[in-house]
Amino acid sequence: MTDTCAVQEAAPAALDYDVLVVGAGIGGMESALKLGDMGYKVLLVEKEASVGGKMILLSKVFPTLDCASCISTPKMASTIHHPNITPWTYSKVDQIRKAADGTFSATVTQNARFVDIDACTGCQKCETACTVAVPDQFNADLVGRRAAHIAFPQAVPKKAVIDRAGSSPCSFACPAGIQAHGYVSLIRSGLDEEAYRLVLQATPLVGTLGRACYAPCEGECTRGSLEGTLPIRRLKRYASDVHDASGNDNGVERPEPNGKRVAIVGSGPTGLTAAWQLARMGYAVKILEAAPVAGGFLRLGIPSYRLPEAVVERDIENVTDLGVEIETGRRVDDPAALAGEGFDAVLVATGTHRSLGLGVPGEDRLGVIGGTDFLRRVKLDEPVGLAGKRVVVVGGGNVAMDAARTARRLGAASVTVAYRRSRDEMPAHHVESADAEKEGVAFRLLVAPAEVLGDAQGAVAGLRCQAMRLGSPDASGRRSVEPVAGSGVTLEADVIIAAIGMKPDTAMFGDRVAVQQNGRLAADTATCQTAVAHVFAAGDAVNGPTDITRAVGEGRKAAHQIDAWLNGRAFDNWDDRLPVVDKQAVLARQKAFALSAPTSDGMNLVSAPADFSEIEAPLTEPEARRASGRCIDCAVCSECNECVEHCPVDGCIDLRARDETHEIRVGAVVVSTGFKLFPADLKPQYGYGVYKNVITGMQMDRLLAPTRPFNTILRPGDGKVPERIAYVLCTGSRDQTVGNPLCSRFCCMYSIKQNQLLMGALPLADITVHYMDIRAPGKRYDEFYEQAKAMGANYVKGRVADITEQPNGDLLLKYEDIENGGAITQAEYDIVVLAVGVQPNRDAEQLFNVGELSLDEWGYVDEPEEDVNPGQTGIPGVFVAGAASGAKDIADSIVHAGAAAAQVAAHLERTKPALPQIEMVPA
Amino acid sequence: MPALNRDVREVIREEAVWRPRILDALAGGPLTVPEIADAIGAPTHETVFWVMGMRRYGWLAEIKGSEADGFFRYEPTGRVS
Repeated sequence: MTDTCAVQEAAPAALDYDVLVVGAGIGGMESALKLGDMGYKVLLVEKEASVGGKMILLSKVFPTLDCASCISTPKMASTIHHPNITPWTYSKVDQIRKAADGTFSATVTQNARFVDIDACTGCQKCETACTVAVPDQFNADLVGRRAAHIAFPQAVPKKAVIDRAGSSPCSFACPAGIQAHGYVSLIRSGLDEEAYRLVLQATPLVGTLGRACYAPCEGECTRGSLEGTLPIRRLKRYASDVHDASGNDNGVERPEPNGKRVAIVGSGPTGLTAAWQLARMGYAVKILEAAPVAGGFLRLGIPSYRLPEAVVERDIENVTDLGVEIETGRRVDDPAALAGEGFDAVLVATGTHRSLGLGVPGEDRLGVIGGTDFLRRVKLDEPVGLAGKRVVVVGGGNVAMDAARTARRLGAASVTVAYRRSRDEMPAHHVESADAEKEGVAFRLLVAPAEVLGDAQGAVAGLRCQAMRLGSPDASGRRSVEPVAGSGVTLEADVIIAAIGMKPDTAMFGDRVAVQQNGRLAADTATCQTAVAHVFAAGDAVNGPTDITRAVGEGRKAAHQIDAWLNGRAFDNWDDRLPVVDKQAVLARQKAFALSAPTSDGMNLVSAPADFSEIEAPLTEPEARRASGRCIDCAVCSECNECVEHCPVDGCIDLRARDETHEIRVGAVVVSTGFKLFPADLKPQYGYGVYKNVITGMQMDRLLAPTRPFNTILRPGDGKVPERIAYVLCTGSRDQTVGNPLCSRFCCMYSIKQNQLLMGALPLADITVHYMDIRAPGKRYDEFYEQAKAMGANYVKGRVADITEQPNGDLLLKYEDIENGGAITQAEYDIVVLAVGVQPNRDAEQLFNVGELSLDEWGYVDEPEEDVNPGQTGIPGVFVAGAASGAKDIADSIVHAGAAAAQVAAHLERTKPALPQIEMVPA
Repeated sequence: MPALNRDVREVIREEAVWRPRILDALAGGPLTVPEIADAIGAPTHETVFWVMGMRRYGWLAEIKGSEADGFFRYEPTGRVS
C-alpha cells in the first residue's frame, strides 16, 4: 500500500479529458467543437437528453430568417460524432474541485435513461404507449408529452429517455413488490386488462389482494395528504373483476420446461406466489397442502364476507393453468426427503395456523377455541354452534376482528372483544376494528384474561379479567400495560375465542427441520435457505404472522433465490426498487391542487349482519376512471411496463438501470450553462398564468416552429386562430421593479422576427408591438426592423400598464401611446405575447465550492478581464462561454464561445509542462 | 363553465381520463375545441391541452382547410389503444 501511494505521488494519474464543458447549448457546443478541432479531448456534459440548448427549440433566427433547426442540427450532429468529444447527455456535473497542480476533478452523474442508447431506434413506440402525461418543457408547457419520450423531433441523440424520479410511494410501500402506480396509471388509461396482467407479474392472487390486503400503498399515497388516498386496493380488484368478467385468458403462456422440479409445502399466499414465479421460469412445480382445500389462510382464515372462496379459487386457477400440480391432504413431515421423489428443491411455506393459548387457568374448558381454529371450522362448514351464545373474543389483532365479526354472522347473542390495551394500541387494522364496531361488536378495553370460569358441567361460564392501565411507551413506542392492583371484572360468556396470536405448526417436522427458539422455522431471511441446502423456507412460518402482501413478497423472494441456487448463481438482493420519491418534492411540482374528492369506501355494513355476503361493493367503471385519475404520478414513470411491451427491440428498455457517478480529472473547465428566461408571472399586471391567451415569446416561437405543439398558430385558451396579436417588449428586463435593470439584448429582435413570421403565416393578422425603444444594433438588424414595419407591423411606443381578460378570452391592453400625445389608450387583442427577458442561470455557481466562482453584480459568471480576456473567470483554468456570462444573441454566443475555446487552449498549452500528457488525436 | 386555472401539470395529467369522452363526442362528427369542451362539460382552455395531446399521439387530427370562424375541426383517427 505504501509503495503504491509513493508511485501515485511521483506520477499523478493521467487526465481523463483535457477539458470539461458544462452545458451543450450553442455556446457549449461551439467551445467543444473548436477545442475538439484543435485536438483536445473534451467531455461535454448536458443535463437534457439532447444537445442543442434553447436554439434548437426556436422557429427561425434573426435577421436572416434561417431555420433554427437547419442551422443547429448539423452543429449538434458534429458535436455528438466528433472524435475528440465525448458527449454525456442526460447527465449532470455534481461538483468541480480544483487540485493543487492546477487541474480539476469533477463528479459527474450519468442519469439513467432506462433505455439502451445503442439499441434504441428512436421509433417512439414507447412514447406512444406510455400512460403518464406531463407538461412538455421542450414545448414551453403548451402541450403534454409522455414520461417515456424523445426530447424533441430533432434531438441528438434521437434516443428515448424515461422520466423517473424514483419509486412512487405506493409502489415502494408494497411488500409484494407490485407496481401499484403502474396499474393505477393503466386503469386511468382504460387499459384494465393490462392492469390485471401487470399485477400478475408479481403474484397470481390479483382478486385476492384486491379484496383482502391491508393496502400499505394507500397509507403512503401522496394524495392522502390532500383530500384523501386513492382506493388503490379497490382499483386492483376492479382490474381483476373486469378480467374475470371478460373471459380472457391471463396471457401467461407455459414456458419451455427447464427439466427441474420444485416442491412447495403449503398453498398459502407465499407458496402460491412462489409456485407462480417458478412455473413461469420453466420449473415443474408441485404444491403439497395438508388441508383438504388449497389456499392456506386465504381459504381457511379470512372470512368470506371479506374474501369469497370463489375469488381465491379463481386466483389459484392462474397457478394450476400454468401446470402447477396441487396435492391436498398431503402432510409433509420431512421436507428434505422430498428429494427422494425427484424434487431438486423444496420450499416450506406453511404459515402460522396455530392459535396461541390464553395461558390462564380454565383455558381447556369446553367452549374455549383458538381464533384460527374457529375461523377454519367455519370456512370448512364444520359446526360451531354459536346461535344465541355470548361470545368473548380475546385479542386485538385482525384475527380477533375476523372472529368477532364471524361470530356476529353466526347468530351469537353478543360478541365482545376483550383487549388489554386501549383502542389506539390495537394491532388490528383500524378499518377492521371500526367495521367490527359498526357490525355490533362490543369492545372491552384495558382488561387481560385471568381465568376462564366454568359451570358445573365444565363448560365456559365467563372470563375473569384483570383490569389494566397504560404505562410508559416501550422501545417501539407502544405503550406498555400494567395491572391495576385489586381491580378486576368478569365478562359473562358461553364461548371464548382466543385470538391473541398465531404460531407455525412445526410439530410434524420433529428435528428434521431446524426451528428457532420462538417456534418458527430457521432460515436465512435474505436467501430463504435452511441448514439443508436444497430446502428453503419463507413467509410467516419463518417470520411470524404478518399479512398477505408480505407473504406474497416472501414467495417472490423465495422463488428468486431458489432459481439462483438451482442455476449455480450467487444469492442476490431481489429488491431492485429505486429510492422512494420525496412527497414534499412531488407536491411542490404544482402551484396548487384542485379539490378532488375521494371515492366512497363502498362498504355495506349493518349492525346485525346475518350472512357472509361480500361487504364491499366493487368500483364501477366511471368510479375507477375517476379514482385513478386522481393519481398525481409521484415518480412520473408509473412502471406500467407499456413501454417495454411495445418496444420492438428486446432488452432496449431496462427499468433496472441506475445512475452512474464518475470521478473525472480534467485540465480545464468551460462553464456554458446559458441563461434562464424571466418568469412572466412575476409581472402580475400582465396576467401570465392567469389569462389563457397571454403567452411568452418562447411559447410563440414554439407555435411558429415546424415542430410546433398545435396544428398551426392557435391561441391556447380555445384553439382559435388569432387575428389581433400584441407584443409587450421588455417584460422582465430594463425593469427595476423586478430587480433587472439590464437589457436582454435579443427580445426586440426575436419579437421582430416573430412579427415577420406571423405576417407570413397569418396574412390577415394585425400585429402591434408595445415598446420602450427598439434596440437593433447588429448587422442588418435595423433593416430587419424596418422591413417588419414595411410589412405592416404596428409599433407603438409606450409601456403597457395592465392587461385584463374579457369573457370570450380576448385581452384588453391599457397602454401609453407616447407618439400620439402620451394618451392612455385601450386596445383589444386575441393574444398577447410577452417578450420576456433573460436571467442568469445560477446553477453555474453550484458547480464549485461556495463562493469560489465569482459572479457579477447581476448574478452572471464574472469575467474580471472581459475587455481583454473574454471567457476567463476568476478561477484560473475555468472559463465561461456564451450567455452564462451575460445576455447574448446566438451570433454573439458563438463568437464568445470561440473566444473561450481559444482561452482554454492557451491555458492548456501554458500549463502543459506541469500536466500529465494524454494522447491527442487530430480531428 | 367557470374558467378557473388549474395547474398545467394537473390538467395535462388528466388527458387519459378525458380521452374516451372526447372520442365519444367526436363520434357524432368533427368538432372545434369549444364544441368539444361544451360536449364533455370541461373548460375550453383545459380541453385545448387534451385535444392537442391527443393530436400529438395520433388519437385525432384536424381537418385540413376546415377552419370556420377561426376554429379548426378535429376528428378521430381511428386509434383505439
